[in-house]
Amino acid sequence: MFAFVGFSLRRAWLGFWRNGLMSLAATATMVLMLVLLSGLIILLHGLDATLNYVQQEVQVVAYLKDGATPQDTAGLVTSLQGMAQVTHVESVSKDKALQDFLARHPDEAEVINSLSTNPLPASLQINLRDPSDYLDVATYLKTQPAVDRVLNIKQTVDQMVTVIGILRAGGTAILVAVGLIVLFIIVNTIRLAVVSRADEIEIMRLVGASDAFIRWPFIFEGAFVGLLGAGVTIVLLLIGQGQITDFLSGYFQVLPVEAAVTVGQNLILIVLGTGVGIGVLGSYLSVRSYLIR
Amino acid sequence: MPSSRATSPPAWPCCEGGAKPDRAIGASLVAIVSAATSGSPSSPIRRPGATNGRGETAEKPADSVPGRIVLAMQGVTKSYPNGRVALRGVDLTIPEGDFVFLVGPSGAGKSTVIKLLIRDELPTKGAVLLDGRDLGRLKRREVPKIRRKIGVVFQDFKLLPNKTVRDNVGFALEVTGARRSVIVPAVDRVLRVVGLTGQADQLPSQLSGGEQQRTAIARALVHNPRLFIADEPTGNLDPMISWEIIQLLLRINDLGVTVLMATHNAEVVTAVRKRVVALENGRIVRDQVGAAYHRED
Ligand SMILES: Nc1ncnc2c1ncn2[C@@H]1O[C@H](COP(=O)(O)OP(=O)(O)O)[C@@H](O)[C@H]1O
Ligand SMILES: [Mg+2]
Repeated sequence: MFAFVGFSLRRAWLGFWRNGLMSLAATATMVLMLVLLSGLIILLHGLDATLNYVQQEVQVVAYLKDGATPQDTAGLVTSLQGMAQVTHVESVSKDKALQDFLARHPDEAEVINSLSTNPLPASLQINLRDPSDYLDVATYLKTQPAVDRVLNIKQTVDQMVTVIGILRAGGTAILVAVGLIVLFIIVNTIRLAVVSRADEIEIMRLVGASDAFIRWPFIFEGAFVGLLGAGVTIVLLLIGQGQITDFLSGYFQVLPVEAAVTVGQNLILIVLGTGVGIGVLGSYLSVRSYLIR
Repeated sequence: MPSSRATSPPAWPCCEGGAKPDRAIGASLVAIVSAATSGSPSSPIRRPGATNGRGETAEKPADSVPGRIVLAMQGVTKSYPNGRVALRGVDLTIPEGDFVFLVGPSGAGKSTVIKLLIRDELPTKGAVLLDGRDLGRLKRREVPKIRRKIGVVFQDFKLLPNKTVRDNVGFALEVTGARRSVIVPAVDRVLRVVGLTGQADQLPSQLSGGEQQRTAIARALVHNPRLFIADEPTGNLDPMISWEIIQLLLRINDLGVTVLMATHNAEVVTAVRKRVVALENGRIVRDQVGAAYHRED
């Protein structure tokens, strides 16, 4: 057993370096596919995060009339908190609304400050247990005299859910297609490496090597290619991590920061697993036809 | 380890149980090695295949008794997938210790016989038996074990160009999982038998054709096979070198190894006067002991 593993690893290592060009081609293909895969995963993850964010964050916003007294507001908050559908209520005063606005749009400060009164209304931001309870809560709010208008976020959310659902399905389909195409390319690249050593395999068969002794060096070699490809990809991802985060938070405005970092650990595992897995599978398929019939 | 006994009698499973000591391969190998090294005493040759590196004892070969059938082909017909019929109803038996020349014009089916014997191909009809076992009924995983009982060399040597002589020979044991401690002495021994000790660290490209073929022969012998098969081993060699190779095969035969050699080389066949099996068009047209290459009337 020990001799077998040692033999296989030694031959895999030698084979990898001796067929330098072939190994390089296989590794490069592997990196290409893993980068593509990572990109898609990050994108899908971003979509997911956006969806969750939208679904979990404020789902109903009720703008209050400027004349509403603090007692009106407090009463509303209390009664809303008493509703089973509501998980959280936050009251945002006119001043707070102005601050938030200025923080988000510093360019507009001059315009806003030039106004004599604060144009932003106070509001209640209500989180729901289930977005589909929207109507109940909205209906109740509309009957309240202190409430000016209820923002129909549900429509927006529904639209986003649909769009993200389509993107997810499309992304997953692309992911599978890319995976298959790349598996095909890798299998062929590895097959070339195997064919270039057909003589060696023939000799091994003639002198009575068992299938395992013929197969495993190539499988280890495929694993090397996968490992190396995954390593290069991970380094590339780590280097690009800053830009990825920027891109994501730019693209999905609402995405919680550092999404790329949270993706990080899982992504590294996925990249490693896929790289090694495809390398091993590719070698297995390539060498199969050379074994004893 | 049964092979660890370093003094006589040689601890070969194949030689126990009534085999005449002078037929024992170990004893004969010693004689050869001694002759090759001009009489210097050497330890009995141990069978490197007796252990497979995992401490298990290898399958015990049947007793090496002259006259026992090692190889049999019974009504063998072989047609290739392209429809080409290479052999038609071939019957052939080869007893232990025989030396057989397989002769015939190009395309007669000599290589096909050899491919069937090493189970590289399977017969379309009929059976090929090695040691009484039907090669067509072997399980996949048994095939390598059978191949280790057979040493085979070809016209084109089939050496690995980036390995030294020593490593090419050792490769045959390495791929069966043998340990270094088994490989090193076994390789040294067969290199002495074929007379390549001095070239052990050279690459095939640094060897003459005859030396390359002797390397291939050493590799075929390193498992201590019971049957040695050569497909036109002198096809690429000039007459002088061809003679050396034939002498080597005769010595190997003297060790009790059954030898089957396919060849075109009429001079050699006629001079040596061994058993000659002539193929023509996939049929055996002559099977004669002590014969010449061509029919003598
Ligand atoms: N792999 C193969 N596929 C198809 N035909 C083959 C194959 N090998 C040999 N043959 C045919 O079988 C016949 C016998 O070939 P072979 O056994 O190589 O003869 P020899 O070794 O005596 O020259 C020839 O006609 C040859 O063309
Ligand atoms: Mg031939």
